Amino acid sequence: MKKISIDHLARVEGNGGISAVIDGKVVTEVRFSIYEGPRLIERLTLGKSPEEDINIVPRICAICSLSHKYSALRAMENALAVKVPSKVALFRELMHLGEMIESHSLHLYYLALPDYVGFPNAIAMASKYELEVKIAIEMKEFGNHIMKTASGRYIHGENPVIGGFGKFPSKEELIWIKSRAIQFMPFVLKTVNLFCELEYPDCPEDDTIYASCNPDRKKYGFAGDEIILSTGETIKKEDYKDLTNEFVVSHSYAKRSHYKGEPYSVGALARINNLGERLKDEAGKMYKKYFNPRWKKNPLLNNAAQALEILYSFERIPEIVDKMLKLPDPPLVKYKAKEGKGVGIVEAPRGLLIHSYELSDGLVSQTDIVTPTAQNAEDIERYCYIAAQNLLDKGEENKIRDSMELIVRAYDPCISCSAHMAEVKKAPEEDWKTKLNDIKNKSTPIFVGVGKHDRSDDGAGIELALKLRKHGVSDVWLESEIVEREAPLKNGLHRPIIFLDAVDFRDKPGKVTVLPLHHVFSNSGLSHRLLPFISDQFSYMQLRNSFVLGIQPESIKKGQKISGSVRKALTQVLEQIMK
Amino acid sequence: MEESKRDKLKIGIYELTGCAGDALLILDCEKELIDIFKAADIQSFLMAKSDNTDGELDFAFVEGSVSTEKEEKEILNIRKRAKAVVAIGICACFGGIQATFLDKKDWEDNLKKVYGDVKMKHTKPVQSKPIDAYIKVDYYLPGCPIGKEQFLSTFNRILRGNPPELYRFPVCVECKWNENDCLLNKDILCLGPVTRAGCGSICINYNLPCVGCWGPVEEANLASEFQLLREKGFDFDFIKKKMSNFSGTGMADFLAKLKGEKK
Repeated sequence: MKKISIDHLARVEGNGGISAVIDGKVVTEVRFSIYEGPRLIERLTLGKSPEEDINIVPRICAICSLSHKYSALRAMENALAVKVPSKVALFRELMHLGEMIESHSLHLYYLALPDYVGFPNAIAMASKYELEVKIAIEMKEFGNHIMKTASGRYIHGENPVIGGFGKFPSKEELIWIKSRAIQFMPFVLKTVNLFCELEYPDCPEDDTIYASCNPDRKKYGFAGDEIILSTGETIKKEDYKDLTNEFVVSHSYAKRSHYKGEPYSVGALARINNLGERLKDEAGKMYKKYFNPRWKKNPLLNNAAQALEILYSFERIPEIVDKMLKLPDPPLVKYKAKEGKGVGIVEAPRGLLIHSYELSDGLVSQTDIVTPTAQNAEDIERYCYIAAQNLLDKGEENKIRDSMELIVRAYDPCISCSAHMAEVKKAPEEDWKTKLNDIKNKSTPIFVGVGKHDRSDDGAGIELALKLRKHGVSDVWLESEIVEREAPLKNGLHRPIIFLDAVDFRDKPGKVTVLPLHHVFSNSGLSHRLLPFISDQFSYMQLRNSFVLGIQPESIKKGQKISGSVRKALTQVLEQIMK
Repeated sequence: MEESKRDKLKIGIYELTGCAGDALLILDCEKELIDIFKAADIQSFLMAKSDNTDGELDFAFVEGSVSTEKEEKEILNIRKRAKAVVAIGICACFGGIQATFLDKKDWEDNLKKVYGDVKMKHTKPVQSKPIDAYIKVDYYLPGCPIGKEQFLSTFNRILRGNPPELYRFPVCVECKWNENDCLLNKDILCLGPVTRAGCGSICINYNLPCVGCWGPVEEANLASEFQLLREKGFDFDFIKKKMSNFSGTGMADFLAKLKGEKK
């Protein structure tokens, strides 16, 4: 077995890793792990006052701290029936644009670009691209300046509070921000050209679902009261659980999400896919110039999408400043409510962020926070898998590690969200035995024999199932029985299901491999008859808990007997299961 | 640059469990960042660079609290390699917000409520603790996050072989320097008197009360500062609860001192 492993994913915010295990010609495992310890944030907000909650929750993540604050404020104000005056709403939007500019420019220039121009970090990059690095630093500093003006300091400022702000900026300050934003435009346009014209590898391409906030009045933006999907569906913010469906995996302290059984992606690329048509002015022109079908399926284009959003933000700032200048500074909106429920959604730089609270007797009694990286984790794993298998197929195994890092980094994961990184491992000899034991140790598996008995080695799965039955193993089914009666699988919802089958891994005959069923689904090289009848019946959790024990056939010609190598493998598998 | 590399101080910046805010704040030293990288040999800084090494260090800056078995090993390894360890940020200094559940059973129950029965395979969680629960810490830079001026002054001082100089007084002192009106006189509970200075009394400058995010002030007469708040009519338990929001184990030690107990 070979394992490509990046334990400390550098140049991302937080502590996590990605690993891939290669068994012969097949990638059998990809894991995006978050080593960052559990912080139990939702639990520790219970019993706090709404104000204390607003102080604490931005500490989930320094990079998105103002998005957390914004989302929590929107949720809390919903729960407390507080309506804020338009100047407050405008100043919050300005603050949020500051974070977008700061976070996107940090990610694009410091974290992502060094990969594409071949430097270990932005500081080293400065030796060749001194001017670019210096102006990028200034652009990031400008974003920081807005955040500091709005919140009080660079990170975790407390100025935004329930009902408004402790203090508003002076007219001089606002005018300075506007003129500085206009000054930056030539460099901002260069940034868009640079990141939209980078050569992005095509190895991870595949369709996905994109989810983002749907801003009011058909505008582009980073907040709203509704979620919009690339499928055209919309979901009310209160019904966010219809989208997120959170679950826990054993290799990460960040929860995972799936929508109707499919992983989905959030972030700048999701927003541009869902809302890009709404962009106007220079951002609109650039969108028309650069957007193409690859943006729908290549996660690396998130870098290009972020660059477009920097442009959008710079164009939006003068509009906000002009509106703010006409309005007086409003006092804090007071509230009396002690009970209530509220959901607040905003777009953090790396995607949809949801805060949901319930208050009883003036204190927080229920908290649910869904972060963007938690939502992206499944798709990060899936795209890394696709890239790893594609590269392995092309014989470019040496590129797997770098490619996985590129993908993870493109998602701009904010690992502190709960969540360093890539690892490629070769599977040890007979790794299938370990994998089989792991599954058995969790819970008694259900076995399903798949194949055609009259097509030599293709009958291996059926043969194996029949032998297991003979040895008195319960819950063994044949493919034909499952098609006729769905019940056997539906009854064992919480139990792992192992499909026994001959699978062409392009390896030596008789080679046994155990891999997750969803890898078989997303690997076009292994596409399989299993697909039609399984995908309809299975829930996402069931799919995640299903495996294929595949045996490399020698021949699947009609009428021949099972070959010697496969027969030997069958005996070994049988022994292992019976142990 | 290479010729002077061996004379430069070897520095590592590490992140354990937390919000990465202290490491980010170092990245946020935009104007000084290139100079920081020139002035010292930055051997490890995961957020900023990918060519990181795990060798001997003169100074290790560590942010975050120890929250997994992997981190327990990591902090011991960092201590072994570094001549001096600087805890940066309230999580490394006092455990931070994630050190809310100080009682083991309470922590276990809450962990279970979040992750159910899923057994973590990659690394086991442990109750969140400040780094000095595991190793000797030479200097503490508190804050949530640390302050830019405080970090740059500390960085400059250690480059010249001097120890950091930290504020040993409460936020109130900085607040007076900034000529703010005292919020306590307006009957607003402000944690300024019991909170360590260094932030520049930022919240009060914005007409908002101090939330205590730099942790309890290390001062001889802290009991009388606490008494002052009580005399203003604020409830002891309420102050305690508010202080505990950020300080983790720092607050427990603080209360133990208040009671005259030994640590």
